Amino acid sequence: MILYDFEYERPQTLAEAAGLLAELGPGARIMAGGTDLLPNMRVAIAQPTTIVGLSAITPEAPRVDADGAFRIDALTRLATLTDSEFVRQRLPMLAEAARVVGSNQIREMGTLGGNLCQDTRCLQLNQKHDFQFVAPCYKRGGACCYPFPQNKPNICWSVYMSDVAPALIALGASLECVDQSGARRISVEDLFTGGGLRPLNLKGGEIIQAIVVPPPPSYFGWGYHKSTRRGGLEFAIAVAAATIRLAPDNVHCAEARIAIGAVRERPVRALAAERGLVGKVPDAAAIAAAVATAVVEVSPLPHHDFTKSFIVDSLRVHLRRVLSRAVERARGEIPTA
Amino acid sequence: MADRNHNSKSMSRVVAIEVNGEHHEVTVKPRHMLVEVLREKIGLTGTKEGCEQGVCGACTVLLDGRPILACITLAVECDGKKIRTVEGLASGETLSAIQEAFLDQGAMQCGFCTSGMLMSATALLEKNPKPSLAEIKKALEGNLCRCTGYNGIVDAIRQASGEGVDPIFMR
Repeated sequence: MILYDFEYERPQTLAEAAGLLAELGPGARIMAGGTDLLPNMRVAIAQPTTIVGLSAITPEAPRVDADGAFRIDALTRLATLTDSEFVRQRLPMLAEAARVVGSNQIREMGTLGGNLCQDTRCLQLNQKHDFQFVAPCYKRGGACCYPFPQNKPNICWSVYMSDVAPALIALGASLECVDQSGARRISVEDLFTGGGLRPLNLKGGEIIQAIVVPPPPSYFGWGYHKSTRRGGLEFAIAVAAATIRLAPDNVHCAEARIAIGAVRERPVRALAAERGLVGKVPDAAAIAAAVATAVVEVSPLPHHDFTKSFIVDSLRVHLRRVLSRAVERARGEIPTA
Repeated sequence: MADRNHNSKSMSRVVAIEVNGEHHEVTVKPRHMLVEVLREKIGLTGTKEGCEQGVCGACTVLLDGRPILACITLAVECDGKKIRTVEGLASGETLSAIQEAFLDQGAMQCGFCTSGMLMSATALLEKNPKPSLAEIKKALEGNLCRCTGYNGIVDAIRQASGEGVDPIFMR
């Protein structure tokens, strides 16, 4: 039981939900699967006065748009993504990223849009504060930070833990957001503010309607890895996602996208490392150089008892493997799906 | 609790749910979770409440056939849905195949995780009657057992799927 009373609304359409959010104001929160919001409400990180539950709305099946882009309803459950033959064949990177989220039950409940809209996490924040920490921290509206006592006021270094977001960024995906005034299209990268206090860039009352992934080009390969202590049911130490597009000579790198998740307040692109790969032959030496650049520019935050040097070491290994896999897939040496 | 200014009288509503084939109408507030309704209002205490935050899997039930965590599911969201709990597995005195396999393999010690394990296993076998070892482990990743009985549980699912694992008393 959640320790305070709140109201619950169950709109039948997304338009109705947007109307409710506009009418109820900032006290209302939308809830898709609830796997992030409800545990946060239990420890009083989130305290909405009304929950607008989207469980009555049936998501559309993933499909290909007229321009060849893949369109996935934001309310698609993560388990649907991993089970869907369509997604596994055409967007194997997304299926793999969805497969490593949480546990079997979490994937059956959680949705793709909800996964992107999850709150940032911190070992101290995600506990009942009245139990161990008497004064609220910055993120709870207080005046201290437990893991980083030297932090300036209102700097929160909680970490954004979505496993799916780095994969979508590496795939160059964008989001269709709706509110009462209409729809807008933003890239997945633009969803994030980069601040731990308010990690998402959505306007009040805005809802993610769909995720649009551009069709993969020729000579395209991907790599994805979520580092964890155990095999499942865990938030990541770090997530490495990369896509490589080779030039038509099938040798030189024409485009690279590297996204690192679970190390900062937002998923981060390693832009300098990407630029370093373009035009080169992505062999072991070039990949090693890109990895060295990436771990420096990403500059991981220590989180969940992992030190910065441990996360950097973990990333060094896994990002190298991820980039190698992406190159092998682009060359056709291992199967794409 | 730091909650302030919350309306203390949020509306109770009547929710119709079908639990193990029986129709129930229960009065709940939005803040009530499915596991509380099952245990305290309907009286089916087989579903356990462990971590209360969606980690341990002890509260796993099947909602329209999908394994979900009843401790982070609002009861009001289940209006008109069909729920299966561990009490619904056996028919009368006859245990289901997976329950028999759990007994054969000694797949429990304290038993607190068992109802969640059984529901996860049931969902897996209904979706995939012949799961591989990797698929079994993936399906059970959201169910924690603190007595470390995982090997027996995996063996039980393999036995129920017809893998030919000898019951523990025959080894």
